[in-house]
Amino acid sequence: MQWFAAGCGCALCGSASARLLDYDLMAVEVASKSWAVLGRTEYFSMDNGGNIVNVAFVEVPDGVVVIDTGPSKRYGDALRVLIEKTVPGKPILRVYNTHHHPDHFLGNQSFDASVIAAPQKVIDNIGLEGNGFADNLYRLLGDWMRGTNAVAPGIALQADREEIGGRAFSLYYLSGHTSSDFVIRDDETGVLFAGDLAFLYRAPTTPHADIVSWRESLNVLSGIDKSLLIPGHGPSDDKDESLQQTGDYIDWLYGSISDSVKRGLTMNEAMALPVPARFEGLGVVRSEYERSVVHLYPGLEDALYPVIEVSQ
Amino acid sequence: MKHWARVAVVLCMALVSTVSLARELPDDPFQSVMWESMAERFMPDGEIVFDERVRVMAPLSAENQFHVPVTVDATALEDVVEIVAVADLNPIPLVMSLRPTEALAFIGFRLKLQQTSPIHVGVRTGDGVWHVGGAVVDAAGGGCTAPAAAHGNSSWMQTLGETRAYAGRDDDSTARMTLRMRHPMDTGLAAGIPAFYLNELAVRNDAGKIIAELDLYEPVSENPTLTLKPRVGPEQMILHVSSRDTEGNTFSFPLDVPAATGL
Ligand SMILES: [Zn+2]
Repeated sequence: MQWFAAGCGCALCGSASARLLDYDLMAVEVASKSWAVLGRTEYFSMDNGGNIVNVAFVEVPDGVVVIDTGPSKRYGDALRVLIEKTVPGKPILRVYNTHHHPDHFLGNQSFDASVIAAPQKVIDNIGLEGNGFADNLYRLLGDWMRGTNAVAPGIALQADREEIGGRAFSLYYLSGHTSSDFVIRDDETGVLFAGDLAFLYRAPTTPHADIVSWRESLNVLSGIDKSLLIPGHGPSDDKDESLQQTGDYIDWLYGSISDSVKRGLTMNEAMALPVPARFEGLGVVRSEYERSVVHLYPGLEDALYPVIEVSQ
Repeated sequence: MKHWARVAVVLCMALVSTVSLARELPDDPFQSVMWESMAERFMPDGEIVFDERVRVMAPLSAENQFHVPVTVDATALEDVVEIVAVADLNPIPLVMSLRPTEALAFIGFRLKLQQTSPIHVGVRTGDGVWHVGGAVVDAAGGGCTAPAAAHGNSSWMQTLGETRAYAGRDDDSTARMTLRMRHPMDTGLAAGIPAFYLNELAVRNDAGKIIAELDLYEPVSENPTLTLKPRVGPEQMILHVSSRDTEGNTFSFPLDVPAATGL
């Protein structure tokens, strides 16, 4: 059923650009010795170079812990420079990958793979899809991606807690945004790094989503004691607003798309339906809704349409 | 250019009186380099006009290039005889054709797109005119979510033809049927896998009268998912679907359309 070998070829890789490609990363201190690097609430573009994602880093007694590495080698390199500038002379002891989406881990190359850690399932997902994602981003971002390869974490985690450089972190193994979503809490400051289970003022994305498990994961995150939440996309959040907003959106999305399937609508008819006014403040909500129709329709058709007895 | 073409036509006519007048093709609003070829191959004979009454709904960019959803709504046109869809830049352009004898001029389907391509839909009316609409779908990708191929699953032969379906109504005189049939829809272009696809589908009423006939081709997505709108009366009725693939496997099943509420 495929007439081309790879799903995402790379026909126009590395088109030269005369522009100076600089991410201009900025670290915002969101808690004591904890910095977030906040991306724009947009979709990938030549203009933003894929800087649409939040990453973070924490100074611990003996070094630095990094959460996610951004969309490209160029971003990873810039992040290292930023960390060195912010916390001079401290070794990077641990890098966590929250999940296998390209904007979150394709900067791994700039770090030593032997300190990069994630649940086994995230590592597996990176192995399966990482290079396809990188090819795809080459097409969307061109020269921003030069030299970028998918690098899988060297450490598979399964513990509920680990101590890094004199600081304890609680680790949560959840799913729903993808088949493996990893959440990290700094037990000292109570800052929760939620990855893409939480979006704020940016429409959630669903290419690998299982909405029912995502909902359960949001309930788990609501129950975790925290001082601040850093969502995967959008501003930092001290009121669980991201959890409420993400939950409200995915509940509506699931209900609305299920309803379209139950009415026998075509995907195109479903895509043309209105998005409720309360979601207008979410960045790129119209296009994300349309993408979600494509993501969620086949599964819901299989779940909601009865099997008809066929005679041969 | 046009002037010379006309001179050539006049010469031809003078030389061979049986040659029919060459059609003047309207300029393609979708600027396809293949437009002339598409028109000649798939919309033969009759005048060709671009017509806004042929609504082609397709995403601006393909989230999944193996499953690009397209819906054609030409219900604003009277007396539609045939609807033909082509994806100009696919290695096999012809996607499907529908003869909606007793159905509205409407169809939903999904297609495979090899690259960014114009999609042209020709709708032929009883007077022989082709009314054409279209869309351009960017296949630069966004999610890279190529689905697992059925061939990766050893049991795919057992589920061949397995069908899930919806049958309901848009109103008292219009049914809506969406069906999803398991089939690999192999194009024959992947190394070592011969072409193998569902190529015919017909919908009939209880009396055996044809409601709609479809020819499907290689670019239709794996597990074809089709939406049609048969013209029906307000009473409960059964639609009979029969389909066959290129290896002669046949699949037949009934769909129960409920009575219009308020009957
Ligand atoms: Zn993500």
